[in-house]
Amino acid sequence: MSTPKTERDLLVFSIWAVLGFAGLAFLLEGFTRDSYFVCLLGTALIVAAFVAHIIVNFLFQQGFRPGETVLGIGAFGVLTFTFIAGVLSGSMSMVDYYSGLTLFSILIVGFIAYLSTRHGLRGAFSRFHVKTAVSEDSGR
Amino acid sequence: MINAGNLVWLPLYALFYVAVMLFWTRVAARENGNHETYFSAGHSLSPWISALTLAAASLSGWFLLGGSAEIAARGFAQPGVLQAGIVLALPGVLFFKRMWFVGQRLRLSSQAELFHSYFDSKFLVIVSVVVAVVFAVGFAGLQLRALSELIGMLSGGMISPLVASLFLGVVLFAYVGIGGMRAVGYFGVIQSVLAFTAIVGLAGFALMSSGGFAALNAGLQTLAQSPDGGGLFQVAGVIRFSAGLGRDAVMGHAETALTSLSVAMAFMGFQASPLAAKIVLSTRNANGFAAGQTWVMAGIVGGIIAFGMAIIGTAGLINPQLSLGGMLAQLQAASPWFMAWLFLGAVAGVQLLAGLGLLTAGEGLVRHIYKPYFHSSLSRVATVNLTRIVIALLALVSVLMQSLTPVTLSALGALALPLAFQLWTPLLGITWLRWITPAAATVGVGFGIAGVLLTETMGYEVLSFLGLELPWGRWPWTIHSAAWGMAANIAAVLIISAITNRNAFGAEAQEARRFVQSTLRMGRRARVLSAAAWSVALAWIFLAVGPGLVFGNFAFGTVDASGGAWSVGMPSIWAWALLFWALGVGLIWFLSYKMEMASPYLMDIPAYEPPRTLHHDQTRVEGERLRKLVVTGALAFILVVLVAFSFGS
Repeated sequence: MSTPKTERDLLVFSIWAVLGFAGLAFLLEGFTRDSYFVCLLGTALIVAAFVAHIIVNFLFQQGFRPGETVLGIGAFGVLTFTFIAGVLSGSMSMVDYYSGLTLFSILIVGFIAYLSTRHGLRGAFSRFHVKTAVSEDSGR
Repeated sequence: MINAGNLVWLPLYALFYVAVMLFWTRVAARENGNHETYFSAGHSLSPWISALTLAAASLSGWFLLGGSAEIAARGFAQPGVLQAGIVLALPGVLFFKRMWFVGQRLRLSSQAELFHSYFDSKFLVIVSVVVAVVFAVGFAGLQLRALSELIGMLSGGMISPLVASLFLGVVLFAYVGIGGMRAVGYFGVIQSVLAFTAIVGLAGFALMSSGGFAALNAGLQTLAQSPDGGGLFQVAGVIRFSAGLGRDAVMGHAETALTSLSVAMAFMGFQASPLAAKIVLSTRNANGFAAGQTWVMAGIVGGIIAFGMAIIGTAGLINPQLSLGGMLAQLQAASPWFMAWLFLGAVAGVQLLAGLGLLTAGEGLVRHIYKPYFHSSLSRVATVNLTRIVIALLALVSVLMQSLTPVTLSALGALALPLAFQLWTPLLGITWLRWITPAAATVGVGFGIAGVLLTETMGYEVLSFLGLELPWGRWPWTIHSAAWGMAANIAAVLIISAITNRNAFGAEAQEARRFVQSTLRMGRRARVLSAAAWSVALAWIFLAVGPGLVFGNFAFGTVDASGGAWSVGMPSIWAWALLFWALGVGLIWFLSYKMEMASPYLMDIPAYEPPRTLHHDQTRVEGERLRKLVVTGALAFILVVLVAFSFGS
């Protein structure tokens, strides 16, 4: 039987196949045309994909899967690296620069907002607060 | 000259597509667990997965590749095409719920099994399998060929159409062969959304390139002023008594209201095909048919066709540079990331249909023909593996035909929809019209097939090859072969049903009839509304796709040498089509929910247990049968060659 987990994954794939790729295409189009508005449209579509993803998670009573988290953080890292490399190389136009900043700002604010609404402000911080186990023979 | 940097996007997106395909194939193969659920996903596909897959398989690539090209070439002369979403939903409303109930009660997983259990007819089983093969090899092959040529064009000749079609064939085999029906369903969801997005995206690009909707219509009005331009925006009367395409020139243009009606009938064939039945019978419950047919098929697919496909077509009509191929080439040069994404959507739509067709055809050939007649002791594992081999062979045949025999492929592809439409009568017999006897259903389909073949290119070319020249050509009297076949089909069904025993049904058929009648009895409100339902449905058919289309020529303005007065800012016939698409969604909703024809109905259906019978060892008989088949095939081949040599031109 197709399980709720499979159905949730199918919806997530579909959302990113449409909104994610549309967002990417509009971002690239904006960079090529040097148009902040088109880049903003791309950013909006990527945000819409995230929102739709979260709604699907809510409907199926599930969270982001480890693979998705790794993929998301990895993609964010690659984007950040590319952006910094672009800034340092000095080949970026002002539109590219502000478009990149907008995308990163929205993603970071959105990420914090998501964690805060899902786990509360303190709980969100605790997600990164790693408690190490203290073994009995550890250097006392 | 295409910039080399632009060429990287299509392979990059194709890589993404293949990666996603492999992921879902792996998921499907793991969920299949063993070979038990390869053919029907354990009858467990979620209703929304089935609804999406059915809608996108119906849409396939035909409406993007063929429908938009039709409008780009001949304008709105055949406006019935714009109602495809509604006419595709109508048979779904009529058949799916009852078909699913019968299938669930008798634990059936394909149309061939349905025909075998209900009518006990070997002929209908073979026809169902042949129709599936024609869809898989001909209909889907034709669309894959168009895509392969586009890939060749978009790659600047770096990838030949043969290599492209081989690649598409390998991708198809990979997911259908490994994951079976479950992979078709799962990957089909992603293919569906990609296909819908592709048409919407391309329509948006066409609108932007044309300067917006108003500019597009201004262009159409200018076109109407050209000599013979008016014919692009009008239906040429109700009927023309011509001898048919290839035999007789028709004054003006050949698309009449009856062409639209009969083409709409051909579209209705898809939902009666074994491909649609495969999805329906693999579905977990009957709760999604109403929503699927009303909102997904009639609403979304209907809207995509009436708006999206029409906009893409009209852009190409005004400016041939904006035909589908031209538009993709422009996008390739300016925004290759958009082009790759949208083109992938077109590929996905066609592959969904082709994958479903290959699975159904492979299953039919192995499970419904080879196994019962020639090798009944074949194990489940061997059956699945043999089906995989047959799927690979069918994919290979399709690829080879795309390159080597495109004319035959085209003629074969043209047969798929009208032949599938002939299966309406046995399906009506199973679901609604209990008076259709097994003999009538069988003979009716036989006559229907003859009617189709005699009015299609394939039929009269074969007869011509054998030295018999028919006095008519393709689609005589401007009526599609689907309608000619159905006329013969209905006549035979009525006559044979009247003269044969109406109680001559086997035990399984009796059980199916009893079960459907006791379970799906119409409610009081639906019975009261049935006269209204008939009236509304017939009125819609008459006005939206039938002879009433001629009113659409002038209902919202006129077309004349000065361009005419278009009171709603678009050609009257297009506005008429949009109006009846919206009314059509209402009609489908009314039939699905208010008339309870597809409404949700949740109940546990215990499997019917047939009386136990003794099975004898058939090995010797089956071996003899196989030898006879080979000898008969060889003799038939020699006979055809001799006749062609003696009388053929």
